[in-house]
Amino acid sequence: MIELSTLTYLFMAMTGVVSLVATYLAILESNLIKAVVLSAIQSTTYVILFYLLMAPDIALVYIPVSVGLYPAAVLFLIKKTERTENDSNEVVASED
Amino acid sequence: MRIKKLLVLGSLILLVLTFSLAFARGALGYYPLPLPRVRMLASWYLYTTLNPQYTNFTAMSPVAVAAIVWDYRGLDTLFETAVFFLAVVGALTLMRGVTLKSVLNNANNKDNNYGLSLISKTAARLLTPLIIAVSASIALHGHLTHGGGFQGGSAAAVAPLLVLVIFSVYFLLSRGISEKPMFMLWTAGLLGIYLTTLAAVFIGLLTGLNAYVFQNQPKFDAPVGLPAQISGTLISGSLFFLNIFEYLAVAGEFTLVFILLSMPEEVVKSFISGETYE
Repeated sequence: MIELSTLTYLFMAMTGVVSLVATYLAILESNLIKAVVLSAIQSTTYVILFYLLMAPDIALVYIPVSVGLYPAAVLFLIKKTERTENDSNEVVASED
Repeated sequence: MRIKKLLVLGSLILLVLTFSLAFARGALGYYPLPLPRVRMLASWYLYTTLNPQYTNFTAMSPVAVAAIVWDYRGLDTLFETAVFFLAVVGALTLMRGVTLKSVLNNANNKDNNYGLSLISKTAARLLTPLIIAVSASIALHGHLTHGGGFQGGSAAAVAPLLVLVIFSVYFLLSRGISEKPMFMLWTAGLLGIYLTTLAAVFIGLLTGLNAYVFQNQPKFDAPVGLPAQISGTLISGSLFFLNIFEYLAVAGEFTLVFILLSMPEEVVKSFISGETYE
């Protein structure tokens, strides 16, 4: 019989792995909009971790800030620049 | 590109392995999850947080976290509020002189010309009141559950943000949610926090007893305190009021910043370069 705490640890480890995958994809994604969405997925897994680590007050503040306000702020900023990340070092003429 | 991928993957794996090794060797103690047995300091907080027989030490709130945030370690939270205030003032300084009335006048005031599709708009119409209700519940139950002013305020700020993204800034401005009401909400919240911190002092001045700034419940040498209950309902003295005012302040601040952030760039540029004056 598996103990409940072992199951909790396993679930936390899996959530951590999901957050790691989301982080990796967010770093490599050249479309910045998709990168923001991946970053929000990573934050969602962190919310689960905070809750399981018995910090429900942090989880409550982390949901609106990391899934609502922070992606919105970054999206507003992306709207004012370019949508994709350029890997090459070419100087791109701006539209102005 | 391939080297970059390998580098990112390698550094992430290295990070995970380092942390795993550190935790396996007991860097956080041998139990990453909080222990069921609490430490002495924690047990003291848990013992006094809602203990009417222990009048000089209790905060009269069943949630130890809320009691620590606004009572035992209340000054920390007060200065956090001050830091957040300064950050928003800094953001507003960048947008000085930009008035939203001109944005509204320039716009073609047909709401349907802007924003996302009808499906998104209908979903937003349904969700916005729900978000406001949930956030108000988080803030008003801040002294009873794991919520609080900041949690509720940041959740409330998601509602105008949703409207801003889905309907456009013109919709929000034409409904009267512009910078002035948000600024007033914010100021009212901060003023409320200021007055609540001084409430015990005012009561002390009126009754001639000793009292402290930021005092919640009566203390040994200061027998003045805010009421812990109103007609049988627990409000935990100052915690309830501080949560409400923090809620207003945070919601106002976030909404103000997002309204200014979503302004069309040409408008802001014309203001900053000095072409438009009002």
